[in-house]
Amino acid sequence: MAADMTLLRAPIGLPLVLDEVSTSPVAARRLLTFGLREGASLTLLQRTASGGRIALVGESRIALGKDVCKQLGVSRG
Amino acid sequence: MRAACCAGPANTSAGPDAAVVAIVGAPNTGKSTLFNSLTGAKVTMGNWPGTTVEVSHGRWQLGDQAVTVIDLPGAYSLDPQSPDEQLTHDLLLDPDPRERPDLTIVLADASRLAHSLYLISQIREHRINFVVALTMGDIAAKRGIEIDVDALATAIGAPVVPTNPRHRTGLKDLAATASSSLTLGHPLFAPSADARRSLDSQPSAENDGKKGDGHTSVKDGKGDACCCVSEANAEERFAWIARTVAATTNAPQGYRQSFSDKVDRVVTAPVVGPLIFLGVMWVVFQITTAVAAPLQDWLDQLFSGPLSDWTRDGLGAIGMGGTWLEGLLVDGLIAGVGALLTFVPLMALMFILLALLEDSGYLGRAALVADRMMRVLGLPGKAFLPFIVGFGCNVPGVAATRILPDAAQRILTCLLVPFTACTARLTVFVMIGTTFFGAWAGTAVFVMYLISIHLIIGMGWLLRKWLWPNLVEDPLVLDLPPYQIPTLRITASVAWLRLKGFLQTASGIIVVTVCAVWLLQSIPADGKSGFGAVEVGDSAYGVAAKAITPVFEPTGFASWETTSAAIVGFVAKEAVISSWAQTYALAEPESDTEPGSLGARILTDFTKSSGGHPIPAALAFMVFLLAYTPCVATLAAQVREIGLKWTLFGVALQLVTAWLLAVAFFQVGRLIA
Repeated sequence: MAADMTLLRAPIGLPLVLDEVSTSPVAARRLLTFGLREGASLTLLQRTASGGRIALVGESRIALGKDVCKQLGVSRG
Repeated sequence: MRAACCAGPANTSAGPDAAVVAIVGAPNTGKSTLFNSLTGAKVTMGNWPGTTVEVSHGRWQLGDQAVTVIDLPGAYSLDPQSPDEQLTHDLLLDPDPRERPDLTIVLADASRLAHSLYLISQIREHRINFVVALTMGDIAAKRGIEIDVDALATAIGAPVVPTNPRHRTGLKDLAATASSSLTLGHPLFAPSADARRSLDSQPSAENDGKKGDGHTSVKDGKGDACCCVSEANAEERFAWIARTVAATTNAPQGYRQSFSDKVDRVVTAPVVGPLIFLGVMWVVFQITTAVAAPLQDWLDQLFSGPLSDWTRDGLGAIGMGGTWLEGLLVDGLIAGVGALLTFVPLMALMFILLALLEDSGYLGRAALVADRMMRVLGLPGKAFLPFIVGFGCNVPGVAATRILPDAAQRILTCLLVPFTACTARLTVFVMIGTTFFGAWAGTAVFVMYLISIHLIIGMGWLLRKWLWPNLVEDPLVLDLPPYQIPTLRITASVAWLRLKGFLQTASGIIVVTVCAVWLLQSIPADGKSGFGAVEVGDSAYGVAAKAITPVFEPTGFASWETTSAAIVGFVAKEAVISSWAQTYALAEPESDTEPGSLGARILTDFTKSSGGHPIPAALAFMVFLLAYTPCVATLAAQVREIGLKWTLFGVALQLVTAWLLAVAFFQVGRLIA
């Protein structure tokens, strides 16, 4: 599925669906262990000081670096 | 698995024939807290044989049976992405069943069950005898989450025991279940052949992870760990997780903002977050320097004053005053033990602060805030803390590197911390600055701090490119656990465990080095004086210093007195000034800012050795002091954290860097002057 935007441009507080993971395989595998894979639901909670985002995935809050956010394609859920 | 292969000293394990229980789980699920609760104070920390991965092991009494418990590094999954995770992977999935623990306790966070089930989904695919300890039940209850424990045990295929290690509840039930599972000795679940093939086929850390059908193959960017993940199996696991959560958990629908969310909105926010972070770092720096300093001074005065005086008086009373025995006891043993013990308040405070930051959950947020800054060095944000602490004292700075979960990051940070300008060097900088630069002394000292920062960045860049070219690729994907109020018991127990480990490693190194310096200074090389009654210049130590001195010709400070002071500086930088005073046979100055006759003598010496260019030579010596090995206590801390091989590599690196910089400063400075 084609993504509407990168996670870096996604709105805060709205449900999103992860459509595309274009990170390095290392990052992809780490994301996978947190449940962040294509088709996963998430909500952005806030921007962070380092330019990244904090995402709510299931019951877990996952901090994502700016570079990782640029490589995740999402659409509104 | 027998305890002999991994356990430490006999008093902290249950013996070579005892069963071994491994504790595994994701970081922040209460794994180490459970380990401390089960084992109490009977614990030893140390690197797993042949690795730099730190593993704690202790003794757990299960009724009549004592077992050895191993606290394995935190792992989110059995797909290893670091040497730490590789160790957990290898021990659990080793093809030789004799290497596997007899029982594995897997921790699951009740407040975020799905988050913990991925690791469990992988473990249950193997013939691993395991039980699940369900932690964080209090946080789950606050969020209105209810879990059907029996249904969860059925879904997982292993016993599930609600446990709260922070408040020591559920531990008896866990002991009874563990005892029963050890007796049964086999998993309740029969894994699927496909699932087992998936994990069994993963290459080890040494393999290159070539691609196979349906697998994503990856090197981890550090050159020492890789794995492959079957996407199909991952989907199967997530489907199982979804079914299990749906069948066993009753949770309120929709997102409710928690206390941790509210705090995070402030402490991780742009602008405010970094300010709070700097405030916290400032408090850590102040406590490890300002608070510890009076205690250190008191201990130093106790050992160099009353204790040394009483020993001299006692030996004098039995007719041994002024003999080599007095030198050995006072200048060797008492000085060595004193040097070690003066670090105790500093290290205790450091370890308490680390435990508080870790236990509260703030450390993860600090890592997030400082991430971009540290990424320049290919390090995560957490690495900021050891450097900040290092500017106070390198010894706790090196110890603070244990907050870094990845071995490569820990080694790199450990190698860089000695380049931070600690307060011990500051004492010497001020004295030299006042002697050579007069009113510009403050500027000269400030320049040393600037050089220190640039040295860390430059060396970090160089080492990363040279040894870990892919370290920077490690992405920031960080789990943020809920904040918790630190408990006194856990903080004290973790701090004591770390302090004990430091003392065990450092005591031998520090005392032996101080005694060795005393011995060399006592051995006459002139053939005239007696043992222990020789001038430094005529001792074996003085002869060695004179032999080394030509190496410093290009630096402008090639006199044997300064070389001797630099060698003593290996023991402690504070000793540089007293060494000069001893070799020039002059009184130590009353104050660093009033160098008096000693300063005048050093100035004369530097003028002579530099061919009339004392200022560039003084700058070169200050840079040399900044860059070479800070003190023997730092080396002891490094041996404990990264092992002897990397510590020796660091010493060589520091010496080469220090010499090259000193030569560059003197030669360029001489041309400009």
